[in-house]
Parts: sequence; structure tokens; C-alpha cells
Amino acid sequence: MGISDSVELENELRKIADYIVALRREIAVLQANEMHMKKIPAAGQELAAVVSSTEGATNEIMAIAENVMSADASDPAGYKAFVDKEMMAIFESCAFQDLTGQRISRVVKTLEHIEARVSRFATYTGVQDEAGHANEAEADAAARRERLLLNGPSIADEGNTQPDIDRLLAALKGL
Amino acid sequence: MAADTHMPILVVDDYKTMIRIIRNLLKQLGFEDVDEAADGKEALGKLKEKKYGLVISDWNMEPMTGYELLREVRSDPGLSKTPFIMVTAESKTENVVAAKKAGVNNYIVKPFNAATLKNKIDAVFAPAA
Repeated sequence: MGISDSVELENELRKIADYIVALRREIAVLQANEMHMKKIPAAGQELAAVVSSTEGATNEIMAIAENVMSADASDPAGYKAFVDKEMMAIFESCAFQDLTGQRISRVVKTLEHIEARVSRFATYTGVQDEAGHANEAEADAAARRERLLLNGPSIADEGNTQPDIDRLLAALKGL
Repeated sequence: MAADTHMPILVVDDYKTMIRIIRNLLKQLGFEDVDEAADGKEALGKLKEKKYGLVISDWNMEPMTGYELLREVRSDPGLSKTPFIMVTAESKTENVVAAKKAGVNNYIVKPFNAATLKNKIDAVFAPAA
């Protein structure tokens, strides 16, 4: 190997070393440990709390509605007092919305935090996405969703409304 | 022919809240004999034990979806004629077409109201034109 070859090799190795140092810095900025140990679990807990509180409030409101529907209305004054009391209880139950709104805002902030870091990392590394799944369970779940058409609730303008579905069913009548 | 309000109805949904909503709406419509199941598998077991006049099922459940339940019901000679209404958030065309091909009698997209439920039940039991 000549001197010029050695210099060229040294330069190449230096570039690789610089790239590795920069990549380590980008990985550190990604804060992957904080993401999977703190931020994502915290967001999951927030969403679980949202599900729990909305379910709780819904059940409270339904119980009140059931009470009102089954109440004795033979004494109008007593019935009105009872209904007024139950309506106040509905207003109280609706207070859940303030808390769930705050929880969801925190989850949105977490998603924005993750998006900013992942986006920066993807831009820096320039890596192309590879098709496939992270593990067998993820692949099985995706295959099940596709096979059983588990699309979930549609975002506005994506799915059909009830009148659309009625028209579709009418068109498919011969099936 | 209007729906017989004495017929047993099986409501299948993995959300107890939704079962409670449907049960209350059915009660307002005059249907009192309402049983419930939390997924397709549990529903299939109940359908084999008791004759139901109508199944109202969600789509997205585990381990057995409402779509799988519908196909099981239609392939079982003893159950194949059971009226079946899908009540689901799955509103894409492919879902509606698949359900229709599998033999669904009507399809309601969530969220829905009492009038829609009543109209769809009435349509299922209306004489064929």
C-alpha cells in the first residue's frame, strides 16, 4: 500500500468515525429510552384513564336516565323535583369532559414530541423504510385485521354515513 | 309483518356500555326479552342453546368478530334463517359489501339513534316487496 492509499484510507476511516459520532449524537437526541420507558407508557396511562372516565360518566348518565324513565310520575310536583335533581346529577357527570380534554392534550403533546425526534432521526440517517412487521405477534394482528376487515371507526369523509350504507345495501339487494 | 316484541333478541358487543344503550333502546321499542354476549364465540354458544328472533351484533370483537359470527350463523342449517343486524363503527364500503355477501339483513353504523334502530328492525321484518 502506497502513502497516498494510506492517506485515503485514513480519510475514509475518519469520515466513518465522524459519522458514527454524529449518529450516536442523533440516537441520544432521539431519547429512545425516555420514550419507551416514560413517555409512551405515560401516554398509555392517560388514554386508559380517558377510557375509564368516559365509560364511568356514560354509565352514570345512563343510570340517571333509567331512573327518570322508571320514576313514578303520579305526583307532578314530586316528579319534577326528582327530575330536577337527576338533571343536576347529569351536569355533574359531564364534568369528565374537562379532565379527558386535558389528558388527551397531554397525549397529543407526547405524540408531537415523538414525531419531532423520529422525523429528525429519519432525515439525518436517510434510511428507507422496510416493509414488514417488528415481530410475529404484530404480523399476526395485521393479518387478522386485513382478513376480518377490522378497519375501526372512520375519520370524517373516509367512511359511509347511514344514508350511504342504506343506498349501498339497496344496490346490493340481489346479492 | 311488524317485529314480534316478545321475540328473544341477542345483543352482541364487547362494550357493556353499548349493550346497555341497545338494551334500553330496545326496551323503549317494546322489546323486553334481551340477552347479551360479549363476543361472537359466546353468542354462538347462546344461539345454539336458545332460539332467538334477532341477533344485533357489533363487528370488531375478540376472539370472534361479528363478521365471523354472521358467517357461522349463515352456515349452520339450524341458525341460518336467524335475522341478523350488524351495528358497528366499521363504515367502509368493503365492510358493508362483505357483510351483505355474508347474509346480513341490515347494517347500522355507530353512533346511531333509536329511530334508526327501529327503522332497521322494522325493515328486517317487513314483508318482501
